[in-house]
Amino acid sequence: MSAALADPPVRTPGTLALALTVNGVARRVEAEPRSHLGDVLRERLDLTGTHLGCEHGVCGACTVLIDGEPARACLTFAGACAGAAITTVEGLDGDAIAADLRAAFNREHALQCGYCTPGMLVAARDLVLRLPEADERRIRVGLSGNLCRCTGYAGIVRAVTSVIAERRARGIGPVSGAERALGPVGARIGAADATPVARPVPVPAKAPAAAPASVSDLGAAFTPAHSFTQTIDLAHPPEAVFALFGDIEAVAACLPGAVLTGRPAADEVEGGLQVRIGPIGATFRGRARIAHDPERLSGTVRGAGADAGGRSATEGQIRYRVGPGEAPGTARVLLDVGYTLTGPLAQFGRPGLVRDLAGRITADLARNLDARLSGAAAPAAAGLNPLRLLAALVRARLAAWRGRA
Amino acid sequence: MKPAPFAWERPASLPALLDRLATAPGSVKLMAGGQSLGPMLNLRLVEPDLVLDITGVPELRQARLEAGTLVLGACVTHADIEDGRVPDNTGGALRRVASAIAYRPVRNRGTVGGSLAHADPAADWVSALTALGAAVEIAGRDGLRTLPLEAFVTGALDVALRPGEILVAVRVPARPAGAAWGYVKHCAKIGEFAHAIGAVLIEPGTGRGRAVIGAVEGPPLLFADASPLFGGRIGPDFAERFDPGAADAALHAAGMADAVARHVHVTVLARAVAQAAEPSPQSLPEAA
Repeated sequence: MSAALADPPVRTPGTLALALTVNGVARRVEAEPRSHLGDVLRERLDLTGTHLGCEHGVCGACTVLIDGEPARACLTFAGACAGAAITTVEGLDGDAIAADLRAAFNREHALQCGYCTPGMLVAARDLVLRLPEADERRIRVGLSGNLCRCTGYAGIVRAVTSVIAERRARGIGPVSGAERALGPVGARIGAADATPVARPVPVPAKAPAAAPASVSDLGAAFTPAHSFTQTIDLAHPPEAVFALFGDIEAVAACLPGAVLTGRPAADEVEGGLQVRIGPIGATFRGRARIAHDPERLSGTVRGAGADAGGRSATEGQIRYRVGPGEAPGTARVLLDVGYTLTGPLAQFGRPGLVRDLAGRITADLARNLDARLSGAAAPAAAGLNPLRLLAALVRARLAAWRGRA
Repeated sequence: MKPAPFAWERPASLPALLDRLATAPGSVKLMAGGQSLGPMLNLRLVEPDLVLDITGVPELRQARLEAGTLVLGACVTHADIEDGRVPDNTGGALRRVASAIAYRPVRNRGTVGGSLAHADPAADWVSALTALGAAVEIAGRDGLRTLPLEAFVTGALDVALRPGEILVAVRVPARPAGAAWGYVKHCAKIGEFAHAIGAVLIEPGTGRGRAVIGAVEGPPLLFADASPLFGGRIGPDFAERFDPGAADAALHAAGMADAVARHVHVTVLARAVAQAAEPSPQSLPEAA
């Protein structure tokens, strides 16, 4: 918990020298390892026919041929295609199928703005090669990985249908591609033909974000996009449990990944929460307002925060009610959790993953609350100690610097 | 939409890969085809110091039959299976699953090992290979170990790999003679991650059966003995004996509180059962 709010260190791992065959010509390019093939083609080789849309594999605009097979340029990183043969839409000028497709796209009004067209042509060419016959349903399914926002697809489907039908009528059959080696297209067996050309140079880490992310007015009405319920059973009387819930520092100490950094008002706290879903780590900094209702043994925590880069933001509300458990002298806590998540984490995350995570956090929280109520050694509280947080940041920086040595 | 900087290395042998994985400082991510990790890098949800590309290791790009068991190297792609470039001991079951994963440009690079190690609950292989009784081979510097897939996937995006370990192969047992297979997924848009998955492997002759309800919030819900879903007995009339109430109760017990979500999952499982009861050969599913 102590290093929970450390910013990721800044890194510059140098560049790679890549040998590629692009549209039949041997090329040597330098690229950062993080560059994907789409950026290498566009930025280094000025082949701007390959378009970038979503950059996470959904829209299909960047689809190119890698070793003759369609693949997403945005999901193929520079080092992964060292030594490969790349064909972009510019390289299809002399291709007979692409020529037929261009004529058919023109004839059938299969494009308007043209942004999707390079990827659409590459995907359509693959269908022309592989589909045994011009089956509209299979063509539509086959083009489902390429989004077009202008045409409604009708003209595109007509164009592809006509090219397949015409070729099959000429006696040109489908191909299976059964001969190629196993493994991802473009990836050579053995060490990469990509050599580092620059040693990693440490760059001073940027200053830690001092202030918590600005949050919207926590008093305003809030309608969560997602909600779920969790229950915690504790072998302690409801009154004792409610009393513990009134001690926000104690609860924070029991919540895995939570750190309190300040308390600007009696009912307000500042701090952060680090969450981890598989390889994804996000640290939300923000502010929360707390209300308790001793009469009903219930309360509300209303919070908002943003992650370190300010790219993902969340707003949430937890309503809790402490009631008697099944056995005398035990308590059951009902947690109603509602939240809204925006930014890349929301773009990727599905509500189910968040619920799975919440279930695991709640189980840890229940264990830690139980330990604390039993008087056992609770986990060390990070507490309201900015110095401890700063020390954690410094430790993380040092570890990152040593890592580059 | 550009990844945070990372270093890139591509070891040419498994020992070199394991050494690097064990000794590299900072955070390390393994990458095979990159079709799941790529989006996370581009969205900066994952910011590793070093990406180790595992596709340079020759033995990860092989497939063979070992006494009837299909051993697929971790870097075998969905398209390799779809196109029949690997042996088939499942009567076409693997091929049908592979051909409906995402889109063809994704299948040309996405790998079976990467998909399992990523362990997205909505991914096809996590559910399909669990139903088929597959196991994974895991290599570390101390040697190899094998885990049944249901013990490997421990949660959403969470697997039983220890630090320094890598999934090197998937072992798929032969589909028993006379075993019926059904696999159905529900997607609102073709190629997207499934909202519900049902998979069944039924042996009407011996009374054995496995069933999986997938695309749930955690690891797939496995019925290692599916007979409770069929009134306690699996026979040639299994399709008529399917008990949606038993599946619903199991989902409820597993924590799926939303009745609509349970209904969708039970319906998809019922369709998988109905598909298994269809006379073979079954047609290839529609795939992008």
